[in-house]
Amino acid sequence: MSAIDIHARGATSNRGEVAPTSGGAGADGATSALVARARGLRKVYRGAVAVDSVDMDVPEGAVLGMLGPNGSGKTTMIRMLLGLVRPTEGDVELLGQPMPDAASRALPHVGALVEGPGFHPFLSGRENLLRVAAAEPLLPTTGTRDAVGAALERVGLSGAADRKYRGYSLGMKQRLGLAGALLVPRKLVVLDEPTNGLDPAGTREVRRIIGELRESGVSVLVSSHLLAEVEATCTHVVVLHEGTVVAQGSLDTLLDSGSPALLVSTPDAETAVEALRQNRTPARLAPGGVRVDLTATEPSTVVETLVRYGVAIDEARRERTGLEDVFARLTQAEAAEQAPDVEPDHVVMREVSP
Amino acid sequence: MTTVDTLAAGWQPTRAAAPFTRLVWSELRWIFRRPRTLVVLGVLGAIPVIIGLSVHLSGSTDGGPPNGEAPLFVTFASSALALPVGTLSVTLMFLLPLTVAMVGADAIAGEQSHGTLRGWLLAPVTRGRLLTVKALGVAVAALVAVTLMTSTGVVTGFVLGGTDGLFTLSGTSLTVVEALGRIGITISWVAVQLFAVGAVALAISTFTEHPMVVVAGILAGDILFGVLLMLSAVDWLHPFLLTVSWSALPDVLRDPIPTGTLTEGALRAGCYMLIGLSIAYARLTAKDG
Repeated sequence: MSAIDIHARGATSNRGEVAPTSGGAGADGATSALVARARGLRKVYRGAVAVDSVDMDVPEGAVLGMLGPNGSGKTTMIRMLLGLVRPTEGDVELLGQPMPDAASRALPHVGALVEGPGFHPFLSGRENLLRVAAAEPLLPTTGTRDAVGAALERVGLSGAADRKYRGYSLGMKQRLGLAGALLVPRKLVVLDEPTNGLDPAGTREVRRIIGELRESGVSVLVSSHLLAEVEATCTHVVVLHEGTVVAQGSLDTLLDSGSPALLVSTPDAETAVEALRQNRTPARLAPGGVRVDLTATEPSTVVETLVRYGVAIDEARRERTGLEDVFARLTQAEAAEQAPDVEPDHVVMREVSP
Repeated sequence: MTTVDTLAAGWQPTRAAAPFTRLVWSELRWIFRRPRTLVVLGVLGAIPVIIGLSVHLSGSTDGGPPNGEAPLFVTFASSALALPVGTLSVTLMFLLPLTVAMVGADAIAGEQSHGTLRGWLLAPVTRGRLLTVKALGVAVAALVAVTLMTSTGVVTGFVLGGTDGLFTLSGTSLTVVEALGRIGITISWVAVQLFAVGAVALAISTFTEHPMVVVAGILAGDILFGVLLMLSAVDWLHPFLLTVSWSALPDVLRDPIPTGTLTEGALRAGCYMLIGLSIAYARLTAKDG
């Protein structure tokens, strides 16, 4: 829990810089430009509903984290957005183009790493990328070699570029997949579980690359089942659960959805609560200190008050709901809603069985 | 990475596609870089040499033929005309279709199994273009296999039998130029038959992500056709079987060439190509990527 908080705070400063679209992002009434837009998406595979009535927006310039447990429909959503799969119902627009029909307009500007890296084991990393580069519409034939070299450099694979792909570690394979998505300057980069198989250093690299993309104005869609990863890299979040969207919006909005509070770590908790109450600031004891309600006051005022009363302060931090909490709340609410539907079935079953 | 204009500024992506020739070159480089392809081509190229040498040596070591058949066969095996044609008609039964099936299997099912087919679709390369590139790749591989085998056969024949033994099955003899013309006809005809096999392999390839299924399918079809051709009860079916005219290949060694069966065979192969590629196209465009 505390680890998540640290991540969240660390990421706050990053998120602060982005912001052009962070206010009004959501499926309803988004006015800013969207690089991808889905309405009423439904996909049924042989009778199994993978995704149902999903509305989703990817605002331009955003890093959208698509979050959900395994099997929640993340990859199906991505495949539909990229036109690899035709939705059973609903519409997809990618860079303003209807998909999958206008794929040859939109996809040249989209880099993607979907369902893990796909390469030929008997070719080296460089040869594999050259093969990918040959098919890239926006790469001039004379520029393919340089583009491949630059992409390899960017993901830190230059040293292993001429080794056979067969001998690559999982992390190196993942990096090569990432290099394939970055061969051409893109408008949108879609990464499906990009940190799978990467060590902590590799994960940091991926975060750095996502950060660079965002700074150069490229929108990014990252899917992940790792909450900390999404919290650390994204400006926006879509939470999928059992094929439907249970929440979407800017990360800040999602995290701040509870009432604001300040957590003060102090050995003099009792004194602190007393002092704050005398100043009409609601506060109560919390493990290791006090929790101060910030609805009517500012953190600086709270700290000033405490100092004035001689309360020793070890640490004061804004309480943030971790994404883990938000996620648990969202998915559990979903499960609770479904429970009543299940029960009548059981009743019927019991009636029928004798 | 440079910043691109924003969507908000009314930016509209235009249709874009990689140059077709670049795709074809990339595909050919991929096919001929694959160790498996090189091994198979090496074996195919060696077969005429092995047949020629072994027959030639076995015929000449004991100084004379033990019976009447040997000299003819030795002459046959040492002829720059008969050796390549003979080797092709032997290998056309299994080895050549197998080679083409292997390339066709890797072309789509193999790419699917490595997750690389998605790369083409995401680039994007339209599915029609993808199939064209793949079909060209298989065709070139088939042509290279046949040409290579014929070339080593011709060279072996010239080395062992010189330029004199260019007899036809009808007993006439041909000049070197005439013989090379016959060789050219043989290469084209066998290649067309293999294109048909390749088209069917590509069609099967779009239905599976296991290359083995494609190779097994082609092999099973080949054997099944062979069995059906032996059953006179189903002789109404024989005109529909691709392999029915394959035994007519030695016709190119007759003088003049009886063109009936060979022409019919080429047309039949054309039908197989059309059907195979149509199925592959229909399946590929409907398939989830």
